[in-house]
Amino acid sequence: MSVRFGDVTAAARCNDPEFKTHAHGERERERERLAHVTRGHRGQDNRSRAGTTARGSFYAGAGKAWHESDARAREQTPRTGQRAREMAEHHAASDGKHKASAGAGGSVHGSSRPGAAVGGGGGGGTGKGGLSGGLTQPAGWQSLLSFSILFLACLAGFSSRLFAVIRFESIIHEFDPWFNYRSTHHLTTNGFYEFLNWFDERAWYPLGRIVGGTVYPGLMVTAGLIHYVLNLLHITVHIRDVCVFLAPVFSGLTAISTFLLTRELWNQGAGLLAACFIAIVPGYISRSVAGSFDNEGIAIFALQFTYYLWVKSVKTGSVFWAIGCCLSYFYMVSAWGGYVFIINLIPLHVFALLLMQRYSRRVYIAYSTFYIVGLVLSMQIPFVGFQPIRTSEHMAAAGVFALLQAYALLQYLKDRLTRQEFQTLFFLGVSLAAGVVFLTVIYLTYTGVYVPLARAHYAKIHIPIIASVSEHQPTTWVSFFFDLHILVCTFPAGLWFCIKNINDERVFVALYAISAVYFAGVMVRLMLTLTPVVCMLSAVAFSSVFEHYMGDDTKREKPPAEDSSDEDDKRNSGNLYDKVKSIVTMLMLMLLMMFAVHCTWVTSNAYSSPSVVLASYNHDGTRNILDDFREAYYWLRQNTDEHVRVMSWWDYGYQIAGMANRTTLVDNNTWNNSHIALVSRSNVDYVLIIFGGVIGYSGDDINKFLWMVRIAEGEHPKDIRESDYFTPQGEFRVDKAGSPTLLNCLMYKMSYYRFGEMQLDFRTPPGFDRTRNAEIGNKDIKFKHLEEAFTSEHWLVRIYKVKNLDNREPLDHKLRSVVPRQKYTSKKVTAVGPFVSIAFPKTPRGCFVLSTRSVYCHRGAKKPENIHM
Amino acid sequence: MAPKATILAACLLLVAALGSGVSGDGLVNEDVKRTVDLSSHLAKTTAEIVLSNQGNSGVQSFVLAVEADLAPHLAYIGATVKGNEEEDGTLALTSIQQTSIQGQSGEFYKVQLPSSLAAGAQLKVKVEMMFSHVLKPFPTHITQAERQLVVFQGNHYLFSPYPTRSQTTRVRLASKTAESYTKLGNPAKSDEVLEYGPFRDVAPFSEDTMKIHYENNSPFLTISSITRIIEVSHWGNIAVEETIDLRHTGANLKGPFSRYDYQRQSDSGISSVKSFKTILPASAQDVYYRDEIGNISTSHLQVLDDSVEVEVRPRFPLFGGWKTHYIIGYNLPSYEYLYTLGDQYALKMRLVDHVYDDQVIDSMTVKIILPEGARNIHVDTPYKIDRMPNQLHYTYLDTFGRPVLVATKNNLVEQHIQDVVVHYNFNKILMLQEPLLVVGAFYILFFTVIIYVRLDFAITKDPAAEVRMKVASITEQVLTLVNKRLGLYRHMDEVVNRYKQSRDTGALNSGRKTLEADHRALTNEISSLQARLKAEGSDLADKVGEVQKLDGQLKELVCRSSQEAERLVAGKVKKEAYIESEKTLISRRQELVGRIDSLLDAL
Repeated sequence: MSVRFGDVTAAARCNDPEFKTHAHGERERERERLAHVTRGHRGQDNRSRAGTTARGSFYAGAGKAWHESDARAREQTPRTGQRAREMAEHHAASDGKHKASAGAGGSVHGSSRPGAAVGGGGGGGTGKGGLSGGLTQPAGWQSLLSFSILFLACLAGFSSRLFAVIRFESIIHEFDPWFNYRSTHHLTTNGFYEFLNWFDERAWYPLGRIVGGTVYPGLMVTAGLIHYVLNLLHITVHIRDVCVFLAPVFSGLTAISTFLLTRELWNQGAGLLAACFIAIVPGYISRSVAGSFDNEGIAIFALQFTYYLWVKSVKTGSVFWAIGCCLSYFYMVSAWGGYVFIINLIPLHVFALLLMQRYSRRVYIAYSTFYIVGLVLSMQIPFVGFQPIRTSEHMAAAGVFALLQAYALLQYLKDRLTRQEFQTLFFLGVSLAAGVVFLTVIYLTYTGVYVPLARAHYAKIHIPIIASVSEHQPTTWVSFFFDLHILVCTFPAGLWFCIKNINDERVFVALYAISAVYFAGVMVRLMLTLTPVVCMLSAVAFSSVFEHYMGDDTKREKPPAEDSSDEDDKRNSGNLYDKVKSIVTMLMLMLLMMFAVHCTWVTSNAYSSPSVVLASYNHDGTRNILDDFREAYYWLRQNTDEHVRVMSWWDYGYQIAGMANRTTLVDNNTWNNSHIALVSRSNVDYVLIIFGGVIGYSGDDINKFLWMVRIAEGEHPKDIRESDYFTPQGEFRVDKAGSPTLLNCLMYKMSYYRFGEMQLDFRTPPGFDRTRNAEIGNKDIKFKHLEEAFTSEHWLVRIYKVKNLDNREPLDHKLRSVVPRQKYTSKKVTAVGPFVSIAFPKTPRGCFVLSTRSVYCHRGAKKPENIHM
Repeated sequence: MAPKATILAACLLLVAALGSGVSGDGLVNEDVKRTVDLSSHLAKTTAEIVLSNQGNSGVQSFVLAVEADLAPHLAYIGATVKGNEEEDGTLALTSIQQTSIQGQSGEFYKVQLPSSLAAGAQLKVKVEMMFSHVLKPFPTHITQAERQLVVFQGNHYLFSPYPTRSQTTRVRLASKTAESYTKLGNPAKSDEVLEYGPFRDVAPFSEDTMKIHYENNSPFLTISSITRIIEVSHWGNIAVEETIDLRHTGANLKGPFSRYDYQRQSDSGISSVKSFKTILPASAQDVYYRDEIGNISTSHLQVLDDSVEVEVRPRFPLFGGWKTHYIIGYNLPSYEYLYTLGDQYALKMRLVDHVYDDQVIDSMTVKIILPEGARNIHVDTPYKIDRMPNQLHYTYLDTFGRPVLVATKNNLVEQHIQDVVVHYNFNKILMLQEPLLVVGAFYILFFTVIIYVRLDFAITKDPAAEVRMKVASITEQVLTLVNKRLGLYRHMDEVVNRYKQSRDTGALNSGRKTLEADHRALTNEISSLQARLKAEGSDLADKVGEVQKLDGQLKELVCRSSQEAERLVAGKVKKEAYIESEKTLISRRQELVGRIDSLLDAL
């Protein structure tokens, strides 16, 4: 930024040669824009001076413009328009006559007025002239065009997310959305206050869960509100459909807010491009297809809208926009843990502005309002509570707030103190502020919280459960390209454009881009925060390129072929220029087309599977639906006692609660590591496992088994060793060569119970596991305490009932060696070991807050001590 | 048996005492052929009775009786008169009313005859009764591999208030295997049929327990509750939705359910229910079959000529004691079911429809949603059902709610699939309400937008923006005027060209004059606008001034070119020289126009 300075008055004002007032920046910007505008003309002048375009063509351009203005005049002033039209008609008629008598008139006349030929070309030309004539002004045409493009972008975004609904049905997808759906259902049936106070005894048996205080309620409240309003209007839509279609609708809103933000950053054209990009980009679609009823679906809208309002408030310095920004931030806080991204990025922006000497009263007003009101609002969310003033990840915002106040104070005092006094005070203040910032940063780094990389590494090394989730893996280049396609290549160009023509809001987008790229590199799921900024910056890049190579065409039509013959060479070079123009344009359009094709393909193939329902395709293209999950869940729902407890791997906790409506031990809210590790040692009635050996489904429990062992090992390293489950060669095998510990553990037995008798086809021996391509090693499986209660049609889900024994064996208090094996020896909870309540709210940046919390010990929830008996 | 025998004796005594009361009619069952069909999970008894009046006077009615043990399970009772040969078909009896006879347990139904039965005359009557839940599984719990055995307890004789001369009872079982059966009168058993009797001269109200324990693997499906919603729309559609709770009421499954056995052995879980067929009306469209967690993907739909068949397959096979819950719905075109005469409408639909063969419905709720504004509702039901108070239902575009008729009935079987007729009045004008609502809503929306866009709601004025807008509008005008002025030159060119051909000096002069006049007017206008721009403090005024300056030069050129043309016509210059000068003039003009153009673009 130190490239351009030298405004002496500004420099003098603040003892800093690099200081540049904002007013100066404004002027600079204005000048630049003018330069940009005139540059085009200058280029043209050059061209005509070089003789690239024949003078006839130049005149033609003028004539064209004349015709455009003719049409324009017709629109605007009817009275004069009438006359102009008469003139135009007259002109065309005379021209026709002229052509008829071309021989008499000679070539002079013919070449002297090629513009007339254009005019005589027909009404179509005039109509088009009217359109492009409208486009050169900020008038009706432009807004109509923008509106329709935006509308189409929203529509495209909405409809491209409907693959799953069309292929399957209107159903909630995956795991987490089932919990959200269940709580939304609770909200709509019991009302808002009941929802806030809801103690869900179906989760985390025997602890239970206070749902109202442990979720971000924004999603549920949004869906509930929409449902309520629709029902108020007697539009009887089921809450499920509201939930299913919420994410696509919000993606439309995201497109609009991205348009607004990009328009503030660059211009309207870039905004429209950005809206189109964000509507179909796979990185965002992956979290917002119809049925994926998750926080991210609405949070990205809230994120973009908050940023838009922030940029707006920084630009205007008005409290109105700042308050709007706070409200939007409040909505974001209520919707997603990713709000931490905002509350760190905005202070970072302000801090960067201060460093760049871009402080202004507008920034002061915007940030002060935002911080205070946003803080108070964010604390209204029960789940967030006092975190904004306690945890270190919010401290950056507070620090910047203090810094800003100090800076503003200095600015204020500057006018009132003598130079000498001020200098002393300034040094004092600066050193104090620097100290505060330094200490804050040190503190944040020291606690290992603010630096997400450290956190992510910590999580990966120390907490197997976090590492066990595939979306917490670092992002590969392939997935960057898969999710963003061409945008990942073009967005650095956009970033460069922004940095080249820097101003207050472009500082913001640059910081946004850089931080988002960093986070996305750390964790796959954080691709989501990167996607919007990539779309915006790519739109900036594309828009600039198009402006450069297509912009002239709207003003000046290509020269007609009536050039005089003696300027052949010049025409050739003109054609070359045109060729380059059209080649670049075509290339860009090709890229965009390929991008659209890629997006559709990815959406259709990768992101549109409900994962609750599986589909397989036969050789002739017909489809088989494997509905085993719902079969088993529904069996649980209908044919087990209402209060039974079902044990399963934590992935399926939400689905069991949502679809089977039964109590689970653990679910996807991974707040309690030790509880998951102790899945086996509780008093349960049913055990549910996923087994893919019959149909070759690879995400089954045997394949996840190692994670279970690792988690258990993490909690109870003395009792469980991962190495027991490997062969001496270090392989994980299920066949005869497998480790005997594995072959006799309960998970293995439950998966393969009676599978050894089953011959799937004639080429393979009985008991051939299709997922692992091996004949199982232990075919003679007998249970003492379990019995098979239900197995779904394709054996995907197997449910075992724990027998009620009249005389229980004496409890063995020694922790046994294999976690799952404990299932059938302990009927009641035995020693659970140290209860370490570690909360892992899923924040988007992979920031896992390590703090001992007592949220679950409020009210009705049993205290941790009590549950260990 | 002892208490039963005493009751029987008491009954007989009472009958004797009341002899004048009941059998005083003199009716006698001459010949009774009873068939008890136990092949499904229902007990269907059919009795063909030859009724003879041996009294003195004609009889208008007779009484049918149901044993006290079976009476609570009675789902349906019906009687038809078999006509003589010359009369075609059968006559449905007009009415069956429940009555009671003092001193007798059981239920009694009085049947009104279509015409009185004269003394000494005979009448053939066919009585049909259906009993649900009378086949009790025994043992009550079986494993997956076992077969289902059930026990039936009934009466060997026809339970009747009249003496019976002769009767036979034939029992049809579900399979050949019968564990045990009562051996009264040494019944003959061949395959699945048991023949009892003939029994002669049986006293009125005689009961003798018939107990049969046999294998019955037919699906013991019971609809524990069904809610049928019929929503009538006058826009041509009738939507039907049934919410069904289904239960397997056979012997409960004991022990594990093994999918392996179920898939590999054909007789494993033989009494379980894998799927069944539901027959929907032929015009049914958009059939859906789902439950709380979504579409049930295991069903098949077959469209036949006279019906639509849905193969309903629950998500999981139903074993004894298992239950499931689902929703099936479809649309029907209203022209097949809705009749109209002026403002009067009649809806004729089945009160309950087919779910599966030999269905048993424990409890049914029917809701008929009529269009908003239906009045004078009157319902004709084929049999007695319990009406609940009407409700209101709100759905798309409703304002004051649609009337909902609610009715419930327990214990229904296939014979209850009959039409109900709902009469109501509906003012056709009300049809317009919904489109008008939509139109109104859009009108309000657009109107609000118009108001919002046209009016200024700002509480503070922004002078800078206003000035900007003012400048923009002035610039716009300037642009128009300048362009018009350029048009004048072009027009002048035309005039000059025409002059060159026609050599009409007058035309040229007049053209020149108009040019001068128009030009002056336009230039003045532009200067006034320029002054206004200056007044607004815009630096654009300078640019406009520049345009004016350039325009002056341009006009000069135009004048010169017309003068040149005049001189050419007058022969004062050579054609070649004229062309030369014309070329330079034109090039200069183009340059000027280009500059003006670039200035205009900058505006």
